[in-house]
Amino acid sequence: MKRLLAMTVALVLPLSLAACGTKGGAETNTGSADGVQTGVGVTDSQITLGVMADLSGPFKSLSTAITHGNELWVKDLNASGGVCGRQVKLEIVDHGYKAETAKTLYPQLEPKVLGFVQLTGSPIMAALGKDIETDKVTTTPASWSSELLGNPYVMIVGTTYDVEMIDGLSYLQKQGLLKDGDAVGHIYVDGEYGANGLRGSKYYAEQHNLKLSEVKITSTDTDLTNVVTGLKGKGVKAILLTTTPKQTGSAAAASKALGLNVPILGNNPSFDPALLQSPAASALNKLYIVASSVPYSADIPKAKEIAQKYQAAGYKEPPNAGVPYGYAVAEVWGSVLRKACDNKDLTRDGIHKAMQQTTSADTEGLVAALNFGSPGAPATRQVYVAQPDASVPGGTKYVQQLFEADQAKTYKAPHEQ
Amino acid sequence: MTTFLQLMVNGLGKGAVFALLALGFVVIYKATEVVNFAHGSLVLFGGYLVLVTKDHIGWAAAAIIGILSAGLLALAVERLLLARSRHADPFSLALLTIGVDVIITEEIIRRLGVSVPFIGDAWDAKPIQLGGITLFRTHLVALLVATVLITAFFLASRYTNWGIAMRAQAENREAAALVGIRSSRVTASAWLLAGLLAGIAVLFIATQDFSGAGLSRGTHSIALAAFPAAILGGLDSTVGAIVGGVAVGLVDALSTYYVSFAFAKSAVFLVMLVVLVVRPAGLFGTRETTRV
Amino acid sequence: MSRLAWIPVGIVLLLLPLYLEAPWLKAGQYMMIGAVGAIGLTLLTGQAGQLSLAHGFFLLVGATSYTVLAGPKGDHLGLGLDPLISLVGAVAISALAGMAFAPVAGRVRGIYLGVASLSLVFLGLYLGQAAESLTGGTSTGRDPATFKLFGFPFSNEGDLVVAGVPIRGTERIWYLFLALLALAYWLARGAVRTRIGRAWRAVRDNEAAAAAMGVDVRRTKASVFAVSSAYAGLAGVMTVLWFDILKPDESEYGTYGVNTSIAFLAMVIIGGLGSVGGAVIGALVVFGLPQVLTLYSTDLGWFTGSVTPVLVSSFVYGAAIVLVVLFEPGGLAAVGPRVKHRIRELRS
Repeated sequence: MKRLLAMTVALVLPLSLAACGTKGGAETNTGSADGVQTGVGVTDSQITLGVMADLSGPFKSLSTAITHGNELWVKDLNASGGVCGRQVKLEIVDHGYKAETAKTLYPQLEPKVLGFVQLTGSPIMAALGKDIETDKVTTTPASWSSELLGNPYVMIVGTTYDVEMIDGLSYLQKQGLLKDGDAVGHIYVDGEYGANGLRGSKYYAEQHNLKLSEVKITSTDTDLTNVVTGLKGKGVKAILLTTTPKQTGSAAAASKALGLNVPILGNNPSFDPALLQSPAASALNKLYIVASSVPYSADIPKAKEIAQKYQAAGYKEPPNAGVPYGYAVAEVWGSVLRKACDNKDLTRDGIHKAMQQTTSADTEGLVAALNFGSPGAPATRQVYVAQPDASVPGGTKYVQQLFEADQAKTYKAPHEQ
Repeated sequence: MTTFLQLMVNGLGKGAVFALLALGFVVIYKATEVVNFAHGSLVLFGGYLVLVTKDHIGWAAAAIIGILSAGLLALAVERLLLARSRHADPFSLALLTIGVDVIITEEIIRRLGVSVPFIGDAWDAKPIQLGGITLFRTHLVALLVATVLITAFFLASRYTNWGIAMRAQAENREAAALVGIRSSRVTASAWLLAGLLAGIAVLFIATQDFSGAGLSRGTHSIALAAFPAAILGGLDSTVGAIVGGVAVGLVDALSTYYVSFAFAKSAVFLVMLVVLVVRPAGLFGTRETTRV
Repeated sequence: MSRLAWIPVGIVLLLLPLYLEAPWLKAGQYMMIGAVGAIGLTLLTGQAGQLSLAHGFFLLVGATSYTVLAGPKGDHLGLGLDPLISLVGAVAISALAGMAFAPVAGRVRGIYLGVASLSLVFLGLYLGQAAESLTGGTSTGRDPATFKLFGFPFSNEGDLVVAGVPIRGTERIWYLFLALLALAYWLARGAVRTRIGRAWRAVRDNEAAAAAMGVDVRRTKASVFAVSSAYAGLAGVMTVLWFDILKPDESEYGTYGVNTSIAFLAMVIIGGLGSVGGAVIGALVVFGLPQVLTLYSTDLGWFTGSVTPVLVSSFVYGAAIVLVVLFEPGGLAAVGPRVKHRIRELRS
C-alpha cells in the first residue's frame, strides 16, 4: 500500500508541479509595429504558410511536384524582399494520404500557420473540412471539385472537374469527334473527384442528348479491360475519364486492343507523363487532357522560366504539371497576401476578406485569370486542351489554347449562389 | 454476343493467372496445413528483382532471376522463421506470415518509388485479333503455362516419391515420420515450389494486359483476390485451384458487365461465401474431421 | 496488474488533458479507439478461437448506425435520436449484425472462416458506396451529430475551464473515450472470468468436447460474435466522433477496410491472443506508433525521403508479429509476468 502511494505521488507530482494551465487558450489577434493587424502564423518578420502534402502515398508524384512549385515561388518572393515587409516560410508535413495521420497532424500544424497553400487528397480534405471552417483557415486543396466550394475558406486555383468535362466535351464536338445523340461512356473514380467530373458530363449530356453510360470504379482498381469491353458493346463514340493515370493507361490500352479506338477525354489528374514509358504509350494518341493550368513544358515565358528554375534547383524527381501549378497557386496566395497587406489586416479573417476581393489574380498565363469574388462558383471556366507527346519534357502539348465553352458559362456549380 | 464472348475470353485468361496463384496457396497448405498470407509479398519480391535487373541483363534472364529469387525467399522464410517455431500450430504460423507479408511488401513498395514497373515485356500489349474477338497474348501464355504447371504438379503429387511423401505428411504427420519421411524436406520443397509459382505469376500480373498497373500495391491486392480462388476450390485440392481460379476470373468479368464494376469485387467474395456455407471446405477440399 | 496499481494510472490518464496539446490528445484518442476494437477481437479470436477479418466491417456498421440514429432529418436518412441512445443503439445493431454472421461460423472453421469473414469487408465497401442515404456517399460523406450527455456537448461549445485550462472539444472527447474504454475493459475482464469466458475457451479448445460438457456450441459462437461486433461497433462510433465525419471508403484500403481488419488482428496477436490487457498494449503499438512517430518527426525532422513514420511503424508491427509467434506466443501481455518471475528467481 505504501509503495502504491509513493507511486501515485511520483507520477502525479511532476504533472502538478509543471504548473496548472500550461496549455494556452485561444490566440488573439494583435497589432504590430507597422500598423498591420496580425494573428496566427504571422510575426513582425515572417508569415508561415502550411503544406499538407502526400509525399509518400499514392499521389506522391503530383504532390511532390506541387510542393516543389510552392518552394520555388517562396524562394523567388523572398529574394525580391518578401511581402508586407515579411519573409514567407513554408511548414511542410507529409500525411501519406492517410486520413488518420492528417487528422492528428492538423492540430499540430494549424496553430503555426496563416493558411494552407496545399492540402492534397480528397479523403484528407473530407476529414479536415470542418476544422478548416471552424478555424477559418483559408486553404487551397490540390483537388478541383466544385463540391468543396460549399466551404467558404476553400480557394480552388483553376477551374473545377465538372467544368473541365463540359469544356472538353464541347471541344470534342467542335472538332467533329462527337455529335448530338451519340453514346458515350464515363468511367469515374468513386468519391469527390469522380462524382464532380460526372456532374459535368451529365449536364452536357442532357443539353446534347448524349446517351451516357456511367461506370463507377474505385481508386485502387487498375484493370479496365472488362469495363471497356462493356462500353464497346454499347457502341460508345467517346470515353470520358475521371480517373487515376494508371486507369487512364488501362482504358486507353484496352480501347486500342479491343479495336474501339474512340477519342478519350480525361480530367486534369487523369494523366501522368510516366504513362509515356508504359506499354500503353502507343495507345495514348486518342487521349485529350482538359486542364486549367498549363503543362510543364508550356510554350509561355513564365512556364519556361519555372522549368529553368526547376532544373537549376536540382530536384531529383522528374517534373510534371504539378510544378507550374504549385508555383501558380503560391503566386495567387501572393496576390491575396498583398491585398490583405493593403487592408492592413494579416489575420485569418483578413485573408478571407482579401481572397474575396481578389477578382483578377494574374499568374502570367500559368492558370486562366481567376476571380474569387463570387462564393461557391469556380474561379474560372477556361481550360486548355492538351495531348500526350513523349518528345517534350512534362509529356503533353497544347492542341487548344485557353477557351470557355458556352455550355460552361450557363452551368451552375453545386454551391453557386 | 461478341461482348459476351469477349468477356468470357477476358475472364478465362485472368482465371489462368488466379489458378497459378491459388496453386501457390494449395502447395503449402497440402504439405503443412499452413495458409501463407505472405504469398502476395513473394509475388512482389520476384517482380521487383525482374524490374531492377532487366535493363542490365535483358528480360529473359531477369525473368529467370525473378522466379528463382521468389522461390529462394519463400524457402528462406520457411527455414529461418517457420521451421524455428516447431511447437507452433498451423494457425499461429499463418498469423506469422502476416507479419512477414507486411515487412516485405512495405519495403518493396517503398523501393519502387516512381519507376515504371511493367515486366511482361515478352507478351504484354501485343493482342491478337480473331474474328472480332481480341485475345490478349499475356492471357494466352498464362493459360498455357498454368496448364503445363498444374498438370505437372498433379502428376508429381500422384506418382513421384516426393508427391507421395507430401500426401502422406498431409494425412498424418506422425505416421509419415514413423515410416521415414523427412518432414522438413517435404515442407521446405513445398515452400520453394510456392515461391517459384509466385515468381512466375508476377510476370503475367504486372502487365498492361492483366492489371493495367505494373508492379505496385495493386499487385499485392491481386494476390489477395486469389484467396477466394484457393478457398473456393478447396485449399488442399489441385483441381480446386483450377476451378477456383477460373471461377474468380469469370465471375469478375461477367458481373462487371451484367451487374456493375463496383459490385464485381464484392461478387467474387460473395460467391465464395455462398460456396463455403454449402461446402465448408470448398468445392473440392477434404472435409476436416472433428477429433475429440 | 494488481487492482490498486490502476489508481495512479487512472489519475495520470485523467490529468493528461490538462497538459497535453491537442495533437497528442488526438493521438491518444486514436489509440483508445484501437484498444476498444482490439478487446472485442481478442475475445472472439483469442478466447473463442474464431478467426475474423471482418472487424473493419463491424466498425462501419457501428459508425453508420450512430450517424443515422443521431442524425438530423434532411438530405440523408436520420432519426434525430438522443446521441447517447444512438450510441447504445449503434452498439446493439452491430451486435445483431455479428450474430447474423455467426451461423456461417457454425459451418466454416479456422482459416476458412477468416477468409469467409473477409467477404463482409468487401460487402461493406460496396454497401458504403451504394447506400448514400445512410452513409452520405464517398463524395461528401456525412457529418455525425455532436455527442451529448444529458445536454452537455462534447464539442467546443460553451466555456468550461479547469485549473486554468479550457476544456474544449478535444479534451472532452478524451474523457468520453476514456470512460468508454474503461467500461469496455471492465466488462471484457468480467466476461472472461465468468462462465461465459469458460464456455468460449471450451469451444476454442475443442468443440466436440465442449458439447459433451454441456456447452451449447452454436449459442456460444453466436454470443461471442455478438459481443465482439458490439465492441467493433463502439469503436466505429468512436471513429466517426474522432474524425468528425462519416465517410465510406473509396477502396478496400481505408478506414473500414482490409488493412484495418488486419491491423486489429495484429494488435491481438502482438498483445497475446485472448488477453484483454494485451489487446490494449497491441493497440498502443499498432495504432499508436504511427501517430506518435509522425508527431515527433515533424517536430524533430527525423524521417526523410521514402522512410516515413507510417513505414517504420509497419516494420515494427510486422516484426512484432513474427517475434511474438516465434518466441512468446502469449504476446506482450505475457512478457511482464515472465520478467517479474525472472527477477524474483535472481533475487532468491
